[in-house]
Amino acid sequence: MQITITGLKKHYHSEGKTIRALDGVNLTIEANKIFTLLGPSGCGKTTLLRCIVGLETPDEGEIKIGDTIVWSNEKNIYVPTEKRELGMVFQTYAIWPHMNVFNNVAYPLQNMKMPKDEIAKRVAKTLKFVQLEGFENRPATRLSGGQQQRVALARALVAEPKVILFDEPLSNLDAKLREETRKELRMFLGELGITAVYVTHDRVEALALSDMIGVMRAGNIVELGTPKKIYFDADHQFVADFIGRANLIPAKVTEETSEHSLVTTAIGSVVCQKRSFDPSDELTLCIRPEFLDFKPASDAINRITGVVEQMVFVGEVYESEIRVGTELIFAKLDPQTTLKEGDHVTFSMKPEHCLLVSR
Amino acid sequence: MERRHSRLTYTLITIVSLLTVAPVVMLVIGSFSKNLRAFGDFTLSKYIAVYTDPMLVETAGNTLVFVLGSAAFATVLALFLAYLNNRTNIPFKFLFKVLSVVPMMIPHVLFAVSWALLLNPSNGILNMWLQQLFGLAKAPFNIYSMPGMIMVEGLLDLPIAYLIISPAMASFDVSLEESSRVFKGGPMRTLFKITLPVLRPAILAAFILCIVRVLASFAVPSVLGMPGRIYVLSTYIYRTVTMSLIADYGKAAAIGMSILVLSITLIYIYRYYTRFSDKYVTISSRGFKPAVVELRKGKIPLFIMLIIISFILIVLPVLVLLYTSFIPYIMVPNGQAFAAMSLANWRTVISDPISIKSLGNSLFLGIVGATVGSFLSILVAYVIVKVKTKASGFLESISFLSFSFPGIVIGIGFMWFFVRTPLYATIWALFFGYIATYLPYGIRPMTSAFVQIHGSLEESSLVCGASFATTMRRVVIPLLVPGIVSGWVLMATMFFRELSLSVVLSRPGTEVLAVQILRFSEDGQWGKLSALGLIMIFFSTLMVVGVNLIGNRFKPGEAKDRKPA
Ligand SMILES: Nc1ncnc2c1ncn2[C@@H]1O[C@H](COP(=O)(O)OP(=O)(O)OP(=O)(O)O)[C@@H](O)[C@H]1O
Ligand SMILES: [Mg+2]
Repeated sequence: MQITITGLKKHYHSEGKTIRALDGVNLTIEANKIFTLLGPSGCGKTTLLRCIVGLETPDEGEIKIGDTIVWSNEKNIYVPTEKRELGMVFQTYAIWPHMNVFNNVAYPLQNMKMPKDEIAKRVAKTLKFVQLEGFENRPATRLSGGQQQRVALARALVAEPKVILFDEPLSNLDAKLREETRKELRMFLGELGITAVYVTHDRVEALALSDMIGVMRAGNIVELGTPKKIYFDADHQFVADFIGRANLIPAKVTEETSEHSLVTTAIGSVVCQKRSFDPSDELTLCIRPEFLDFKPASDAINRITGVVEQMVFVGEVYESEIRVGTELIFAKLDPQTTLKEGDHVTFSMKPEHCLLVSR
Repeated sequence: MERRHSRLTYTLITIVSLLTVAPVVMLVIGSFSKNLRAFGDFTLSKYIAVYTDPMLVETAGNTLVFVLGSAAFATVLALFLAYLNNRTNIPFKFLFKVLSVVPMMIPHVLFAVSWALLLNPSNGILNMWLQQLFGLAKAPFNIYSMPGMIMVEGLLDLPIAYLIISPAMASFDVSLEESSRVFKGGPMRTLFKITLPVLRPAILAAFILCIVRVLASFAVPSVLGMPGRIYVLSTYIYRTVTMSLIADYGKAAAIGMSILVLSITLIYIYRYYTRFSDKYVTISSRGFKPAVVELRKGKIPLFIMLIIISFILIVLPVLVLLYTSFIPYIMVPNGQAFAAMSLANWRTVISDPISIKSLGNSLFLGIVGATVGSFLSILVAYVIVKVKTKASGFLESISFLSFSFPGIVIGIGFMWFFVRTPLYATIWALFFGYIATYLPYGIRPMTSAFVQIHGSLEESSLVCGASFATTMRRVVIPLLVPGIVSGWVLMATMFFRELSLSVVLSRPGTEVLAVQILRFSEDGQWGKLSALGLIMIFFSTLMVVGVNLIGNRFKPGEAKDRKPA
């Protein structure tokens, strides 16, 4: 089911200050895709998610799930949470400590007044799906973090909702388990093909899981796009910076051709992919470290020379800083390289990897 | 150091055993003895006599209804108030703080009396007023009834239940409820399937503690139960030792045994549940206070209800006593009543030698008793916290034993003890009895104070290299003073208004305030009772305020320059 959000506002008042947790969000989440809300801490992701499920009452705007308006300030509509037919995995999992695994998972079905044997069948099927067969009678307080996460997932899936929401469901797991669970989740959601809204501030999680990412900042959606679009082709410096390591250098356009723009920067003139901007926009040149070519052809465009100032061996690469004029360029060097600190080095950048973004 | 500690530990064990274990032992032996003067002459006759008494069946039934009813009423009301305070946007939340503390300062016997004044069937003020208003032939309410007793006792135990349930409610992880809402549980289902079950340990703990307290309760059954001939176990004991021709302490001990065993068992269960309750406590990871429930239509009615409860618990008793103390006989407040007002009752009370004697005795017991009790508590708390040996563990368990003592039962035990000593019928019998019975209330705040000092003391001396004197002055004393003050205040107020132990131990010449009030109530001398009761409330407030001010002076820095109000 598609989720349509228009002009959603939510302000909090605390200690005499107004916090604009949601500042007029407009967003369409496509049906049957995994949509991720990504953004730094405090940008309003949880608030948006809670507005969608109905645990928080927005101040203004409208939320539509499928064809049903579940919240509208103007039309005075409020569909209570329990009637919205959603599934949700909470950040703390919110597994009920006084019930066993079976009762936790069966709860949504019991509330639908389903016959007992049907409930048992559905719970068994769902537990099998999340690989928790045989855990039915385990008290909820005696589960590991990963198992709790899967119980939470099973509970969210058991009633076969059309939309499932996740609030940082992996943040309580350790790094290794998080990676495994991420893969499992991707698989589960791929199989189910339902609409999933996923909140995270972890960019790798967002890139690995999503069909579509919405990047949030201070109560607004800054940019919307596929993981590749967000990573390679962001429109905003904030997005480009947030989604991965990048060299960000202030730039000014001096010349434009049909395909390319020529910009002047502190590291010299650079030919970039052309992009149209508002004339008043301040621009930044964004180059990801993995696109610096250290074996440039002699006739390559954007050949730049600098001095290696620092090299740190981190295993798969040397993370290094190269001084070019006043700028320090972050680069990843081949671990087998013979370069040393203090050496001169020349590299090139393809115009399509030189991304102009607005500040 | 080690040896000094162990000598201290054993001295304290001896003292505390004499205070808490001895009366229990005496109670046991006494229940098998022929009579007070023939201690140790073994007989089963007392048990047989008491447990075959046909009246016991009715008494036990009454007790069951009274205890369960009051405990349930107090717990449900506390649950409701704790929910309102922690989970809704009800205004004037400071009222909850007031509600949970102030009623503890109003003596139970006075609270019960004020309800008798309002709703007794012959001349209850409220009853008469309603009769006039609606032209009723009969009084609409009778407080001398089981429902009346349950209501008053429940209100009295409300604060203790609230103090247990409210913190549990405050630390409740709201996402447990939110997830129930998401998974199609409506508000009611969420309440009964999720919220209440998760809070069950705290609710049960509160319920059990209320049961123990109601079981020990004497003020309400004596003031409201006995006029209507509704006896519960505590008043049954009282009757056995005061009202029959020959006071039979053997029978009283035999019946007291079963109450004591029940109490100790319940306290054991209570401890089990409070230990268990930590397990469910999950603090929400969302950094803010949980989203509160917006009261929409319910806000005003609920708020009015809160105001009424506060009024009933705090203002009404004092108001009723104040009014009654000025009128010659009970009448509905009207022009005639106001015209008849005088200071006559006050004058009689002030010139009544027994009342003045009882005030003096209670003040002595409150001030000197609490001071000695606090001193003992400090030593015991010190050993419990600092000396980690088997002996100190034993000391801890015997000093908390009296937590489960119903005053009237342990009073019977003390009776068997004191008649063999020169202390019998002196003020010292009450003095030691009080300290023994209320020792845990003094120890508890002190142990938390010592636990605090533990870390800071070592840190500050190690890190800052401060001298011992400086450490004492800057760290130990300031940290200890609040504990001493609250321990002292708790003991002093409890001693000052003590009733259930005193009705057994007090003799002519050693009258105390609460017993004197009970006498006035038995004789229906409401005007004198009210005047004396107000004097009692006045002095007990004075003690609390005074000691807190003194305590503030000992705090360094911020508190020193604060002028006493
Ligand atoms: N109940 C509340 N009262 C006051 N302010 C709130 C409340 N809930 C959220 N906020 C504020 O609203 C803003 C958005 O909060 P939100 O929880 O949506 O952030 P988030 O993007 O989920 O952050 P995180 O990644 O840390 O979970 C924050 O600035 C927060 O301080
Ligand atoms: Mg969040």
